[in-house]
Amino acid sequence: MPFTEEELKARVQKGYIVESPEEMTDGYRKALAIQLTVQADTELMSAPSYWMAARHAPSANTQVSAHAIIQDELAHANIAYRLLEDMGISKQKLVYEREPHEFKHPYGFDQPLDNWADLVVANGFFDRAGICLLSDVHRNTSYGPLKRALVKVDMEETFHLRHGEVWMRRLARAGGAAKEILQRSVDWMFPMTVEWFGLPDDRKRHSGQLEYKLKGLTNDQLRQLWMSSTVPLCERLGLDVPAHFDEASQSYVLDYPFPCQYDASEKRWLFEEGRITWGQVFQRWKGRGPMNEIYVESIRRSRGQVSSWLN
Amino acid sequence: MEEAVYDVFARKQRSEPLRHIGYVDATDDALARVYAWKTYDEENWFEMCVVRRSHIIPVNRIDGPYAARATGRLGRHAVEGR
Ligand SMILES: [Fe+2]
Ligand SMILES: [Fe+2]
Repeated sequence: MPFTEEELKARVQKGYIVESPEEMTDGYRKALAIQLTVQADTELMSAPSYWMAARHAPSANTQVSAHAIIQDELAHANIAYRLLEDMGISKQKLVYEREPHEFKHPYGFDQPLDNWADLVVANGFFDRAGICLLSDVHRNTSYGPLKRALVKVDMEETFHLRHGEVWMRRLARAGGAAKEILQRSVDWMFPMTVEWFGLPDDRKRHSGQLEYKLKGLTNDQLRQLWMSSTVPLCERLGLDVPAHFDEASQSYVLDYPFPCQYDASEKRWLFEEGRITWGQVFQRWKGRGPMNEIYVESIRRSRGQVSSWLN
Repeated sequence: MEEAVYDVFARKQRSEPLRHIGYVDATDDALARVYAWKTYDEENWFEMCVVRRSHIIPVNRIDGPYAARATGRLGRHAVEGR
């Protein structure tokens, strides 16, 4: 191993780019492997989630655009798992040999998307969260192969976001039932995405991601970045969101107890029950959501069959 | 089944150099072409090529990311194993 932990940390802070697994220290490898697993699992689980929702596409054209997004997500997942494979972590094992609850995607991708509004708000909110997280990684990461892989991913995520925003605008302008159902999607998905960014900075355990320059922004900075585009978008469309810009602190402030409990079967946040602990949030995440097993199985149900014909 | 690594090169316009844009795993050349074309579809490429990584011959260093044959790294690996 060419570098000690301290040497590598100092080097990457000065702009050194790691090009191969041989250059990594144990600490670097571990932190990068976790980051890439979360990234890969998130891309992978977005695919069945969007795929089941694409049945609600209102026309042939919208079917095509929804499936184009799903195809992109599967390619993004494949690229991220492939980077893990280079580090000696088997893609086959990660995709096919883990229990559904062991995947590391956010809780939002364990939820059912029940109609076209749910799908386009997922594109507007979840894909925006993906852009915030991944464009920060793209700008800052010290791992060269990941930086280059993200050129494609960022470009395509921007298309997913645009798809979401265009359709949110269309449903909002239509008013009536269309706007009502859109508002219902916003109601459960806004707090879901806010929570996605994880522990606030003052509670955050030391993870090495910033020291190894695997990302540049903190959880709270990323959450603010997401709100700074999402809240104005919703305000322009006349949609209610439980957050506002606070002039005094020059930041976005949540108008509900955060974090708080979620009733997955009702798709409703229990604001009235007040604040819960992050321990309770992690417990809910660990229990996974209603679609977890269904999504995981939908991806791998036919795997054994074809290989048995071929072998 | 065993898959090999194929590096993917592409350019948007005839005046540009071919650029390394990524890589795919495939069991043969024909599938590598399909996977590359379908995976890296973010542009309307003027030209795209795939090269089996084990066919890349390192010139000045054997520890680079593409020096698979020299180091034995990232060459082939089994998939769908039992
Ligand atoms: Fe993606
Ligand atoms: Fe996406």
